[in-house]
Amino acid sequence: MNLVARLRSWLKWIVNGRRLDREMETEIRFHIESYAAELVRKGMSQQEAMREARIEFGGIESHKDAMRAAVGIRWWDELGSDLRHGWRLFYKNPAFSAVAVLTLALGVGANTAIFSIVDAVLLRSLPYRDPDRLVRIFFNEPGVGLRDVRFSKPELDDLQTRADVFEDVSPIFEGSENLTGAGQPERLEGVNGSFSYFSMLGVTPQIGRLYGPQDFAPGFAPEVVISDGLWRRAYGADPNVLGRTLRLDNDPLTIIGVLPPGFRHPGPTISGEPEVFGAGGFSADPFPKPMRGTRILVNGIGRLKPGLTLAQAQARLTAMAAQLRYDFPADYPPQAQWTIEIQPLQETLVGKVRPMLLVLLGAVILIVFIVSLNIANLVLARASGRQQEMAVRLALGASRGRMVRQMLTESMLLSLIGGAAGIATAVGTLGFILRFVPSNIPRLNEVRIDWMVLGFALLISILTGLVFGLAPALHAAKGALSSAIREGGRGSGYSTKTGRLRDVLIVSELAFAVILMVGAGLLLRTLRDLFQENPGFNPTQVVTANIELPNPNESEADPYLDIPRRANFDRELLRRMKAIPGVELAAITEALPGTNTNPSAVGGVAIEGFAIEDRPVESSENLSAERIRISPDYFKVLQASLLRGRSFSEGDEDGKPLVAIIDESTAHKYWPSSDPLGRRVRFGRDSTKPWRTVVGIVKDIKSDGLDIDGVPHIYVSTYQDSSKRLSVVLRTSLPATLLEPQIRHEIQSIDPGLPVFGVSSMNGVLDRSLASRRFSADLVGGFAGLAVLLASIGIYGLLAYMVGQRSREIGIRMALGARRDDILRMFLRKGVALAGVGIVAGVVFSAFTASMMASLLYGVRPHDPIVFLIVPLLLLAVAALASYFPARRATNVNPMFALREV
Amino acid sequence: MGKQIDLLQGTLDMLILKAVSLGPLHGYGVLLRIQQISGEQLEIQQGSLYPALYRLEHQGWIAGEWGESDNKRKAKFYSLTTAGRRKLHAETEKWNRMTSLIAAILRTTSEEI
Repeated sequence: MNLVARLRSWLKWIVNGRRLDREMETEIRFHIESYAAELVRKGMSQQEAMREARIEFGGIESHKDAMRAAVGIRWWDELGSDLRHGWRLFYKNPAFSAVAVLTLALGVGANTAIFSIVDAVLLRSLPYRDPDRLVRIFFNEPGVGLRDVRFSKPELDDLQTRADVFEDVSPIFEGSENLTGAGQPERLEGVNGSFSYFSMLGVTPQIGRLYGPQDFAPGFAPEVVISDGLWRRAYGADPNVLGRTLRLDNDPLTIIGVLPPGFRHPGPTISGEPEVFGAGGFSADPFPKPMRGTRILVNGIGRLKPGLTLAQAQARLTAMAAQLRYDFPADYPPQAQWTIEIQPLQETLVGKVRPMLLVLLGAVILIVFIVSLNIANLVLARASGRQQEMAVRLALGASRGRMVRQMLTESMLLSLIGGAAGIATAVGTLGFILRFVPSNIPRLNEVRIDWMVLGFALLISILTGLVFGLAPALHAAKGALSSAIREGGRGSGYSTKTGRLRDVLIVSELAFAVILMVGAGLLLRTLRDLFQENPGFNPTQVVTANIELPNPNESEADPYLDIPRRANFDRELLRRMKAIPGVELAAITEALPGTNTNPSAVGGVAIEGFAIEDRPVESSENLSAERIRISPDYFKVLQASLLRGRSFSEGDEDGKPLVAIIDESTAHKYWPSSDPLGRRVRFGRDSTKPWRTVVGIVKDIKSDGLDIDGVPHIYVSTYQDSSKRLSVVLRTSLPATLLEPQIRHEIQSIDPGLPVFGVSSMNGVLDRSLASRRFSADLVGGFAGLAVLLASIGIYGLLAYMVGQRSREIGIRMALGARRDDILRMFLRKGVALAGVGIVAGVVFSAFTASMMASLLYGVRPHDPIVFLIVPLLLLAVAALASYFPARRATNVNPMFALREV
Repeated sequence: MGKQIDLLQGTLDMLILKAVSLGPLHGYGVLLRIQQISGEQLEIQQGSLYPALYRLEHQGWIAGEWGESDNKRKAKFYSLTTAGRRKLHAETEKWNRMTSLIAAILRTTSEEI
């Protein structure tokens, strides 16, 4: 009834409480004085009249109290007094408060940090205009098992003009380019898109301008847009940078604009953030003639027209693809089933890390639950000590609801203080924490503490407060009046009600600990398996370095234009590498093992379709493999075992018959029953290209990451088919740091413009490829360890408390003839039984949670029997140990003392 | 016990609404007017008047405003709001119905049953 008026009045009182309080007094004083004045008129003396008026009025304070109650803000006053009471308790028990606040701060802090990452990576929309309309476009050939194949300029035009789906479309060439002209040549990440790249994303420049249709050039535009970072680093944030020229891969480019500081390219990168942005028309030199079958473009990104749903857009694209297949049968062989697929851009960027981040978030939430259960135990122990206080309050007329509220207020106070400490810790250490987060998680640079994160942290604090406050609060409300008062401060035994509540807390704590430990066990086993797994070669005593040959847009400026010129470079490179003292062998590869995780980037090794001679094209087999260019000694450097045939030789060069070496996966997949040696294969669909003969079979080398199996590879000789992105691998007993200056010196003696990067041991390369797995395994493992510690503290605390409470009973038992062993067993049994129930419950829950982690596991089944056996046993042992110490103390109870204390 | 107090409280609320419906009054004025109208028949515990005033104001039936009393002192004057007028009307109706009903019951003689 009349809620608005009441709310307004409440608010008025809460905001202006003090002023209204004064007004209340003024009003009462006015009343009393007016009445007194009337009494004086009736003949009373002033003093007597005032006295009489006060008596008539009644107790001022109690009336004031009733007035406050009348406006419904008594609860507000009570909250204030509860808070004051809570605060007094808080610092009257510094040990308890410190433990509670510290563990809470740890729990809430960890939650805040992890959630800030989840928020930035998974929850927040991409930082572009209308990010929901941005999609990644995939061209697939499901018929031959190929996904995300390249596309041609005419196909790009179809998307733009014919599909009626996109406002803007752009292919994205991500790659690194050599910035030269000043001092040490630098290698930059760069992006080349179409002229609508920036308008598609909806970016405005910091200074200068961005690309637009007026810049159109059929090849690459002679202009470049640079990032804020590069502008500050290389040009000292000089506003006159516009119009200046920089050289990228030998091409002179004019700077036309600088991007705003927050801008990030929405895509995976090879390493670090792109800093130079070019644009091109993709239809003239250096691009081949735009033919439908000449598929050279990668990474399509588009902005959907407004009002179009993803499903509608997909339907139109599917229809268009079908029409194109019908119109150009020569370019779209029916067995390939060429089609177009779109996915939200955000999904393609972060989809891969979602399971890992969700597992981390789940783990950290479990931890905060365990923390709050532990605190609940402490509070409950304290509540038992406060039974007398509660009983007196009840006796004096406090309602049970009022008591619950008071206890909850105390818990909330505690949880909010702990939460605030946790948030402060997280804010203070976020930068430090982020240094441990593997950099291949996308959008890490967007991580910050914002309102969303603070809200989550607050929610977690309140929830923990509720969890650990509710049990003691309900317990307090149930407190039996007479017995508590009669008993005095000393509880005589382990009262069943509190006892059961505490048992439940311990059991759930252990169950949570089991879930965390099973998760950690599975992740750690995965990691161990990956490290122990034979990668197909011997990574020790191998040092690697990366080089990227320039890729100028003007072919005259390219000293590495054709295969013979590149072969010359390769030979010179190898000669100089082998001459470095301490280097036994040297080889070149296009893709270092464990690193080819971003195949769509330029220079990344993509899966390519190929044909086998004398096999019908219509065969339903998916003929595809990764092509890796290597130099003759590659397998020798890696100590990979050649199973059959021969390695490449110096003679396998341009002009000689083309050769190939396949790995076991390729052999098993495509020649399951025949001998591949001597058979001929050909990449692509161009039937005018020559065949290459398989001359050898090598054991599988894990090129795509240690956790990726069975990708077929076909190796070709770098002297016959070379790449501009190459890595040298050196077999040496010297460490990478020692070799780095010499490697750099030798390479730059060939060409001073070549940057050398990523000099590292092969083990280091493999290690980094597992960084995010290691991160999540370490983190969950750490949380699991913490959980076990907290759970054992919980058990220990519970039993120690029980022993204290039941010392009289123990004394009686012993006086009646119980042996020390009986007493020890009694308490041990209690602890182990509780732990057992918790562990069984935890194992049941883990069976569910482990299945949810399946996508993070490798080589380990979610219900791995070893993990599911070791974890319960380990926890049981810890529980037994945690119970043993208090149990042994029970045996030291002196019956005489215990009985006399009654 | 409790029921009687409730009833009294309800009556006091009604009397206050009636008193301020005749013109804005401060707390002491409300007391005087009720006593005056009732011909000094009703004794009101002075202090209990204020919680009732605050409750009525909180519910939006009367509005308090600071002004100056006859003897030039600061005092809070209460006046009836529109909602309060409706409330007073409804309460009066209810009261009349109830009293006539109870009166009728009390008038009943044995012959009428």
